[in-house]
Amino acid sequence: MAGLIFLLAGVSMMVACAGYRGVAIALFGVSSVAAVLWFDHHMTDPLTLAF
Amino acid sequence: MNVLANLGNAAAAIGIAAILLVAFGLQFWFGELPCPLCNLQRVAWVLCGFGFVLNLRFGVQPLHYGLSLLGALFGAAVSGRQVLLHIVPGSGTYGSPVLGLHLYTWGFLLFVAVIAGIAVLMILGGRPDHDRDGRHADLRFSGIRRFAAYFLVAMALANAVSSFALCGPIECPDSPTSYWISTYLRF
Repeated sequence: MAGLIFLLAGVSMMVACAGYRGVAIALFGVSSVAAVLWFDHHMTDPLTLAF
Repeated sequence: MNVLANLGNAAAAIGIAAILLVAFGLQFWFGELPCPLCNLQRVAWVLCGFGFVLNLRFGVQPLHYGLSLLGALFGAAVSGRQVLLHIVPGSGTYGSPVLGLHLYTWGFLLFVAVIAGIAVLMILGGRPDHDRDGRHADLRFSGIRRFAAYFLVAMALANAVSSFALCGPIECPDSPTSYWISTYLRF
């Protein structure tokens, strides 16, 4: 899944370099949402903050 | 002032690509395989660099800085959570320290530094460029700007390959000890 997010982000930058700003920002949005969802998926371990 | 902002954007893009390159160095030369949260921090660096690439390609605009800020905030959240996971003595660590700090601690400090850096770049930026679709933007996208943007693109795509080789298509183990592709292909 992380590989897919990297790929999406990389493609969005390539699209930006090619000159398509709107498409690039849309792809960036998709990869950002995917990254946040993947982070949420990995927030399973409880934080132990007390000694 | 705009020259300074443009140089700053190129330096930021190259700096982020260099951070990803150092992470690759630690991964391949020292066998420090990235955990899922470590991979997400690398994702955050790529997302953070996207705004700088837009600035290099289309001219400096507040929207582009905003996208970089979102990436940096996401990275600070991920690295901050990993710091908190290991902040209590005896709760273990992940990976070896570099210059006395673990990579996730360095990540948190650097994401905060990027947020401060973007504030400085926005102050230096002056008036936003409005030729984002024009011929000027095409002409300006050369030299150090083009190198910085493509360096970052190359690092993002290299991370896609590395991450797929390490984790496969879906889930990465919490503490990976070998590459998924090596067990899948049995070599």
